[in-house]
Amino acid sequence: MGGDTYLDLVNSGFTAKVAKQLGLPRPARLRRYRAGAPLVDGPVLVLGEGGDADTLAQFLSGTSPEHKGWDLDVRRHAGEGTRFAAVVLALTDVAHPRDLAEPLLTLAPVLRTLAPGGRVVTVSRAPSPDQAPALAAARQGVDGALRSIAKELRAGATGNGVVLADDVPVTAPAVLGALRFLLSARSAYVDGQLLPVDSAAGALPADWERPLEGRVAVVTGAARGIGEAIATTLARDGATVVAVDVPAAGEALAAVANRVRGTALQLDVTADDAGGRILEHALGRHGRLDVMVHNAGITRDKLLANMTPDRWESVIAVNIAAQLRINEALLTSGDFTDAPRIVSLASTSGIAGNRGQSNYAASKGGVIGMVQATAPLLAAFGGTANAVAPGFIETEMTARMPAVTRQVARRLSSLQQGGLPVDVAEAVAFLASPQAGGVVGQVLRVCGQSMVGR
Amino acid sequence: MTAVESPARGAGAGGAAGGGGAAGGGSAGRRVLALAESPGLGGLYARAGLASGRAAVGGPVRRALGGVPGIPAGPGDEGPRAAPALPPVEHRLGGVVPDPARLTAYQHLVGEPASDVLPAGFVHVLAFPVGIALIVRPDFPMPPLGIVHLANRVEQRSPLRVGDALDIRAWAEDLRPHRKGAQVELVAEVRRAGAPADGPAAWRGVSTYLAPGVRVPGAVPEEVARPEFEAPVPTGRWAFDAGAGRRYAAVSGDANPIHLHPLTARALGFPRAIAHGMLTAARALADVGARRGESYDWDVEFASPVLLPSTPVVRVAPAGDRAWSVTAWDAKRRRPHLTAEVRARA
Amino acid sequence: MAATPSSPPAPTTGAPRAVVVGGNRIPFARAGGPYARVSNLDMLTAALDGLVARFGLQDEVLGEVVAGAVLKHSRDFNLTREAVLGSPLSARTPAYDLQQACATGLEAVVSIANKIRLGQVESGVAGGVDSASDVPIAVSEGLRRTLLTLSRARTVPQRLKAAAALRPGDLKPATPRTDEPRTGLSMGEHQAFTTAQWGISRQAQDEIAFASHQRLAAAYEAGFFDDLVTPYRGLVRDQNLRADTSLEKLGKLKPVFGTRLDTPATMTAGNSTPLTDGASTVLLASEGWAQARGLTPLAAVVDAETAAVDFVHGEDGLLMAPVYAVPRLLARQGLGLGDLDYVEIHEAFASTVLTTLAAWEDKEFCLSRLGLDDALGTVDRERLNVHGSSLAAGHPFAATGGRIVASVAKTLHRRRAELLAAGEDRPVRALVSVCAAGGLGVAAILEAV
Repeated sequence: MGGDTYLDLVNSGFTAKVAKQLGLPRPARLRRYRAGAPLVDGPVLVLGEGGDADTLAQFLSGTSPEHKGWDLDVRRHAGEGTRFAAVVLALTDVAHPRDLAEPLLTLAPVLRTLAPGGRVVTVSRAPSPDQAPALAAARQGVDGALRSIAKELRAGATGNGVVLADDVPVTAPAVLGALRFLLSARSAYVDGQLLPVDSAAGALPADWERPLEGRVAVVTGAARGIGEAIATTLARDGATVVAVDVPAAGEALAAVANRVRGTALQLDVTADDAGGRILEHALGRHGRLDVMVHNAGITRDKLLANMTPDRWESVIAVNIAAQLRINEALLTSGDFTDAPRIVSLASTSGIAGNRGQSNYAASKGGVIGMVQATAPLLAAFGGTANAVAPGFIETEMTARMPAVTRQVARRLSSLQQGGLPVDVAEAVAFLASPQAGGVVGQVLRVCGQSMVGR
Repeated sequence: MTAVESPARGAGAGGAAGGGGAAGGGSAGRRVLALAESPGLGGLYARAGLASGRAAVGGPVRRALGGVPGIPAGPGDEGPRAAPALPPVEHRLGGVVPDPARLTAYQHLVGEPASDVLPAGFVHVLAFPVGIALIVRPDFPMPPLGIVHLANRVEQRSPLRVGDALDIRAWAEDLRPHRKGAQVELVAEVRRAGAPADGPAAWRGVSTYLAPGVRVPGAVPEEVARPEFEAPVPTGRWAFDAGAGRRYAAVSGDANPIHLHPLTARALGFPRAIAHGMLTAARALADVGARRGESYDWDVEFASPVLLPSTPVVRVAPAGDRAWSVTAWDAKRRRPHLTAEVRARA
Repeated sequence: MAATPSSPPAPTTGAPRAVVVGGNRIPFARAGGPYARVSNLDMLTAALDGLVARFGLQDEVLGEVVAGAVLKHSRDFNLTREAVLGSPLSARTPAYDLQQACATGLEAVVSIANKIRLGQVESGVAGGVDSASDVPIAVSEGLRRTLLTLSRARTVPQRLKAAAALRPGDLKPATPRTDEPRTGLSMGEHQAFTTAQWGISRQAQDEIAFASHQRLAAAYEAGFFDDLVTPYRGLVRDQNLRADTSLEKLGKLKPVFGTRLDTPATMTAGNSTPLTDGASTVLLASEGWAQARGLTPLAAVVDAETAAVDFVHGEDGLLMAPVYAVPRLLARQGLGLGDLDYVEIHEAFASTVLTTLAAWEDKEFCLSRLGLDDALGTVDRERLNVHGSSLAAGHPFAATGGRIVASVAKTLHRRRAELLAAGEDRPVRALVSVCAAGGLGVAAILEAV
């Protein structure tokens, strides 16, 4: 991996002082998951009027009569001098853009003292064309406001939102799951995102630290980089992992499988029988298959004008055609039916496009279309299909970029740095979890609120 | 070397002068010379040089060796000399106790396991100085340097072991004409100390030597046409490096200069140092290995010397019931070095 | 071929079957290649790591791990146990080293299978490793003795005396040799004699080598080794494999063995195995153990036989022991060559395979030497070394047995499944034969599960 030397310099000693005096961008060290660390590092302010705000406050503080909550130090009022670790804005009741004023203006002074690595999370409902214009305006206004607030936050703090469909209660597993994910250190590089929760499906885990206990997960491209981090993170969350990669990557793959106490399956995902072999291995060795993570991917960059058929076709074959074929095998097997999860790796290139990556963007755009269309096929089993779109992630692949391009790409986000493979893995793990059952057919960006794309 | 000469006491040994003589002890007419200690061979070779000079036998040794297989002939043999006879003497050395360290060194060198049973070749090493001491006598009718080992026959009738004290006797017999000179049998017998002197020896060795150019009375045998050597399919190869002669010399005590160094060998008419015949014979015996048992016959005929360094190829093959033949030859020149036969004794 | 009963004798009731569950090896490298700087321990551990990863054996306490190396450093006195300790297996998994020259790997399989059948262990890994690159170099005998004497010397004069015994020549190191200690001949030279004796032609040997490369390359292309081989040190396939070799190319190589015989020399670098580095492992278990872990048994180890020949005294060729082992093994199982779906004969040299086959086809030899009442028979070449063998893959001595057993077990399992799918329910068997230095030979029969 390249390693972000600049990030190190502006965060240590003398060079940090110089950077401050020169007014250079000063990316912060992000708060990332550590076993045993608290969910948030201080009091949580819940803003907003109405029943949903109260329900959330009760749940977060562990005072809900119905749910075992998270025992956080929850405040309902921004007291003078309190340094909040997180702010939850319950905005489900807004009916008119006017209604945004009070919660957001109450938030304003709190932001100045928000703790490093702090969190602002909105909980709102989705606008739609069949709503009263004022209601839709208010709800869509939350989107714009949140994305702007996220860009104003400093010191590794992030701003994200959960957007509920009208019939989804705030206590739905996916709402609480998403809220927890966005409050936690697991979402370190997720910023400026509004994650829709479309159904009340899903289940709260018995143990929030090991939500994937008893689940069997397959990760393709698991030998290194993001795939390796996904395998590691899923295993940390309790899953039994089948690590898949091409035979040529077998040595690294074996090391990953051994480290996560899983099994290695050397397999070219473009093989006709790849889906069958994955099923055979998972069912044979581990008795079940619950989570399919399509991470394997390649780039063969060229301007379209210079594109060759083999460059185009190999990218399509690995990055999307293989996924379609494997999913078909899983869906028709009858063995992928216990709240199954498909999580596929898209890319910001697939959303915003990228010069020289028409083939790659076609495949990654394809991934987004695929999960949207696959999700309904799994709904009957309580299953989901979602995508994670990483932005600039520090991997072997990005380490090969030209140095200046790499530096620019790193600073092109609200967090002014690249993400780490584990940041992508955390998003994958969340979408793979039982509590994420209400998130269906979505694309979760892990990009530090990159300026690229939507 | 100290020696005490006394009349032979070998009772009933009168008719036992021949090669097959089973009776121990000097035959009638042979005086017994009891050696007090094993003759140092280095001294013997020094004396041998003197003896050769004194007897003026053969002139340059190179010439003396002319015509022996594998040795380039020198120009012109000298004319015949007065026909001499063997000295009527038998050397005896009693109470020889083999040194286990020397035995081990020997065993490792020739490829025998370091067991407590003395390989027949090691017994030869013990008996050799007693016999050589005969050859360097002034009254021995052959020059000590330049004689050629043609063949060696050993009967290991019962095993000798580490710790056994050994009585060694040696005499020469059967001096007769050879196509290229005169040949003689050097006979040695080894008994466990205390074994009946007239009983069979545990070990009996007969070494046939040729003294080129020496003339003795008798009819010169017809030359037997040797069949062309046909190289068989090998079963092994021996690797003798340039130091093989020095190492065998160190362990056997036979420091004949022709085995030690190319320079000393060249001085005596050889292109390079040559391996001791008994080293190659011992390798042949070792190749047959444990299946020969503890009692066996071991016959070797030397055809051409093994120049050092060299890697002769070998074939070991069954040769009848509990018998094996060993042939060693130069693969490049397709010339045999030796043939050996090892037969287990019933 | 001699007539044979159609079914084997009933297995001993109650004895568990020992099954091959799978295997893992690293690609075999040519000596001095990518593994030149790694040790036997490194390679064996790598092969074990891949096996553990493939079958999820992390933290498992296996019954036993048995492996060995032919060329071994003295520091590797507990090579296999050290590999276990360096692997993700439970440190409570016992291990021991075994060495039977080139038959080490197969003998390790047989040893574990026997313990499983006896109920002494439930599971085990058999393996083997060899490096022709990272070989031990010993000090000369003279230096060694001097050093030993020095270490025992107590006084300065004693030490001086010991040191004075050292000669300049003693400083030359001694490299290890795989020549037969008793004959001083290399294996190739020995085989050249046997080749000449049986009149095996150059063409026939080159054809064996060609088939080996073709078949191994095809197996790689078909993904056959995807679950048998784990890449190591950047090597993904066996380095010796020449997919593009041809009979013409093989025919141009100069003979290297038997060049001083009366008959024309026929053995080349192309139809002899090269010096190779590599390691292999095989996971064996009782059926119950495999079932409990969701592992699919591929083939059962049915029986095995070891033979030895007297090559020292000119009775037989050095590598001819399997010729004797196989008929005894078949007779005990009531089988003939025709009952075998696959025959794996380790290609130490192409001519080893051919002399073995020739001996079995030679009635006179079978009668006089093997004590049969007819020729043993002919091996159908289509069933012989179907995925290539040592000529193409290379031959890291102790690793070859594991390579063959894992591959043939997978082949058997597939074939049986194909037959069952076609409605044919019959035993599917393979013979594995490995010749070894010292006139040794090990043969085993595996049957598809």
